[in-house]
Amino acid sequence: MEAFFSHCVYVGRGLAVTLELLAGGFFIGATLGALLAVLRYNGVGVAFIKGFVSLIRGTPLILQLSLIYFAAPGLIGLRLEMLSAGIIAFGINSAAYVAEILRGGIESLPLGQFEAAQTLEIPRFFLWKDIILPQVFRNIFPSMVNEVISLLKETALISVIGGLDVMRAASMLSAEQFTYFMPLCIAGGYYYLLVLLIEWIGRTIERSHHQH
Amino acid sequence: MSAPIISINQVHKAFGGAPVLEGVDLSIVGNSIVGLAGPSGGGKSTLLRCIQGLEKPDSGTILCQGKVGFMFQDFQLFPHMTVLQNLLYAPRLKDKSVAPRQRAEELLTHLKIASKADSFPDRLSGGQKQRVALARCLMTNPNVLLCDEPTSGLDVVTTSDIVSLLQTVRVMGVTMVLASHDLDFLTQISDRIIFLKGGRILLDQDRRQQTDSLDSLHALYRTSLSEEE
Repeated sequence: MEAFFSHCVYVGRGLAVTLELLAGGFFIGATLGALLAVLRYNGVGVAFIKGFVSLIRGTPLILQLSLIYFAAPGLIGLRLEMLSAGIIAFGINSAAYVAEILRGGIESLPLGQFEAAQTLEIPRFFLWKDIILPQVFRNIFPSMVNEVISLLKETALISVIGGLDVMRAASMLSAEQFTYFMPLCIAGGYYYLLVLLIEWIGRTIERSHHQH
Repeated sequence: MSAPIISINQVHKAFGGAPVLEGVDLSIVGNSIVGLAGPSGGGKSTLLRCIQGLEKPDSGTILCQGKVGFMFQDFQLFPHMTVLQNLLYAPRLKDKSVAPRQRAEELLTHLKIASKADSFPDRLSGGQKQRVALARCLMTNPNVLLCDEPTSGLDVVTTSDIVSLLQTVRVMGVTMVLASHDLDFLTQISDRIIFLKGGRILLDQDRRQQTDSLDSLHALYRTSLSEEE
């Protein structure tokens, strides 16, 4: 039992990196994804945005992460720390998916909502900020929760560039102790608890939005 | 005869090559209620949308004096805002004083919907939504109010409520153009009825001068319906 707790503490050292990657990646993903979706709907840079989404979704995340961390220094002289490279890679990757989720959400709104705002002379910025996006976010909320859960599990790829997250901590412990089962189960337990927490937060927010 | 508040001159509009309006000419004087009747696809809604500026005519001109309000067939209230927020959102972007709130409360009281001020649209009946949509339009102090199918989906009692509501609005000096399938509703309220079919005006009847029967209108309607079948 004592070994179990000490293993939990050891693997738990990676939680901070996992959570930082999740929070930073999702912040960039949601912000950039929303921007791309709104620009695309308004016909700005459509070809570029389509190309970006297609390229990001069409290549493995591990390749994008490696490009940013390993190739960018030689290519453009940009040397990033492990955590920054991870947050940027996960953020850009998530942005492509969020942009598509949002595009679906925007296109599912009745055109009349845009027209009603137009007849009331609501300026474009406020139309998006207060009329369209709040409705879209409410409609796509379950998909966004899915995206956060996917992102959480993808953060495990940070070990490729040497980040000490939950998964890497478990691997290190396995290598030290010559046992795989318990460290990996503990890592799985941490991820599962985090997913349950995200689902609970999602349900709570959704319920509070529907209480009117 | 007073000067027209809306002047429509040779307006053409087509969607995907299919003509919807074919050379519509129309003048509407102030403080009148004009009913646009006709079968589906006759061009009623498209004409209203062109007057509002939601559609751009392919050719021809539309001149409108003053501010135009538009009531959508399906209301298009903002579902994530309460009734009061629906009324206040747009005016408050321009006027941060207490005036918009006072006006909103007056309108809600006037339209007998003050008790629903804090309700969300999904908690309202069709008739209540119609009142809120009307109040939201009136918040912008329009000279002209365009209503697309204002009685669509409403029962007889609510329809008669809408008639009296619109008559109240008229007293405020607002000119109205109403597009509707419901000929009985239009004849109850309109000073003038225009029958549109195939994008053309087939009949233009001034109800104030012509007090005889509505035979010609009903005959046109019957013909249109039998052709649709």
